Amino acid sequence: MMTIENKIVFDIKNLDLFYGNFKALKSISLPIYEKEVTALIGPSGCGKSTFLRTLNRMNDLIENCKIEGDIEYHEENIYKTGIDIIGLRTKVGMVFQKPNPFPMSIFDNITYGPRCQGIKDKAVLNEIVRTSLEQAALWEEVKDRLKESALSLSGGQQQRLCIARTIAMKPEVILMDEPTSALDPVATAKIEDLVVELKKNYTIIIVTHNMQQAARISDKTAFFLMGEVIEYGDTSHIFSTPDHKKTEEYITGRFG
Amino acid sequence: MSMLNKRKVNDGILQGITYGASFFSLFVLLAIIGFVFVNGVHLLNWDLITHNYTAVSFIADLKEGTGPGNYETDQVFAEGTYYSDKWGIALADDTNVQGKNVVLVVYVNPQSPFASLHDKGISTVPIPLEKDYEIIRIAFDGASSALSVQGAQNMITILDGQNSFRELEFSTSGGGIRGSIITTMYLIFFTLIIALPIGIGSAIYLNEYAPNNKFTRLIRLLIETLTGVPSIIYGLMGLAIFVPITIQLTDATGGNIISGSMTMAVILLPIIIRTTEESLKVVPDDYRYASLSLGASKTQTTFKIVLPNAFSGILTATLLAIGRIIGESAALVFAIGTTIKDTVKITDKSASLAVHIWAMMTDEPANIELSTTIAIIILFIVLTLNISIKLISKGMMRKFGANA
Repeated sequence: MMTIENKIVFDIKNLDLFYGNFKALKSISLPIYEKEVTALIGPSGCGKSTFLRTLNRMNDLIENCKIEGDIEYHEENIYKTGIDIIGLRTKVGMVFQKPNPFPMSIFDNITYGPRCQGIKDKAVLNEIVRTSLEQAALWEEVKDRLKESALSLSGGQQQRLCIARTIAMKPEVILMDEPTSALDPVATAKIEDLVVELKKNYTIIIVTHNMQQAARISDKTAFFLMGEVIEYGDTSHIFSTPDHKKTEEYITGRFG
Repeated sequence: MSMLNKRKVNDGILQGITYGASFFSLFVLLAIIGFVFVNGVHLLNWDLITHNYTAVSFIADLKEGTGPGNYETDQVFAEGTYYSDKWGIALADDTNVQGKNVVLVVYVNPQSPFASLHDKGISTVPIPLEKDYEIIRIAFDGASSALSVQGAQNMITILDGQNSFRELEFSTSGGGIRGSIITTMYLIFFTLIIALPIGIGSAIYLNEYAPNNKFTRLIRLLIETLTGVPSIIYGLMGLAIFVPITIQLTDATGGNIISGSMTMAVILLPIIIRTTEESLKVVPDDYRYASLSLGASKTQTTFKIVLPNAFSGILTATLLAIGRIIGESAALVFAIGTTIKDTVKITDKSASLAVHIWAMMTDEPANIELSTTIAIIILFIVLTLNISIKLISKGMMRKFGANA
């Protein structure tokens, strides 16, 4: 049934995660494949966003968060001591639920990441801004107003700007945490088209509450429930003939 | 029905009490401001701000070979100004910045003997009588002296009847607060230079870096407590610690502006730390996450994203601090001293505006009028600062509101 497998980017093995005494993730094991869209679905509080944040170690910012097990990124455990977290985050970018551009110009938003890495050359930065905005399908809309505040953009434009800002770091993986939940249907459609387009160059892992969205844009789907992965596999398979009853119930809207 | 009426009455009484309380506070505040204005506003003028505090007195007589003549002038004088053709000076009655009646020099003809007088003091250099000097008395041989209390017209009349005089006593006009304004500015400058980096640094540590544990909570509790310590205790500490330190390190011999600034900085630290921390807290975590997820380090995130967005809060902290520096007196009495100075030196005793008031009110007799005039100036500055704070925080709300 499975198609020819791409290279594995992330290999998660027996991952447990605790918030204090609460076990939020229970022995998660799954591979993430290169240049595919992997959708994480499941009811609220099932641990899918928590899982997403473990992949670029954004969980480090939460107090009392403890992790057991391995997450291998290109066969290197990203939780071993001495790992370059900043290097990891430049390779594994993240787009958040609520569009969160910095209160500065569009240009400065895109160049913020590269500048933090020490890139100062104006020509290089200009090029980064253009290619990032082009890839995020925002260039035509904002090319004449790069010096304007990013907050003057609409919500959908802001979210595409956040994607462009992530692309500017030339990452390999883009993590998306419910990127369309704060947007209207038109803006959502644009982001979905963009995700399908970006798949050619990037590995994308997307958390979503929208079943149709997962079915439309993802290649693989993981169904989370109470901190466990109930089912993981090809999206077409999961949405047509799921192996587990719980998966079927959730997808058909009987709970969640 | 009676139940309803009873409730109505109770509600009415309680409402009445709250109305009464707020009107009472308003009345008290207005009464204070009214008192200050009624007493002080007539002395409010530009001379007060630009003049020296100390009046310099001179005693002089005629230089050899000079004397009365005919010094007519084309100058037109206002009513109440009296000109002597014989001596070439014009005098008028006036009140000086301290509110005392004086005889003021309005004009001195350049050819007049008064334009260059013989100093009866130690100096051998001729001294001029100049415009705006105050004449205290003129003494003559064989005639009674002309005193300032008798007025300008009387002085000119007596002068016109004489061909020479034995002694002229005059002084520059004093009572100004120029030196105290300069001291206050120095104090603001040095206090902020010390307090802002330390205060903002502490706030950044507490809000961005400090782990949420018992030790951090203890530090916060201590800082909160420090806000409530009476400033006179800080003044004692300044006298016991900062004054000796500055005496060791500089040519200071007692309380000075530097030790005063250090003391003020300690007083302000809790305020600056708290206000800055509040403004750091308002910066949405979304910005921090976005920055970190873009591969920025914690330090880059703090200084490039968090701090610029907290700028208006830090500005508010600074303005609050300036207001406090201008208003503080008790601590400064110990840490700088109460000597009102015209030539301000940062390693010397001096008095800020608030201490200037304190010094004048402990004088014998207390000068309530001039004190209230200075109070008007202080009130004006504090009011301006507070309005600026209001405007800035409004701007801050709008900025983050746009993103919410």
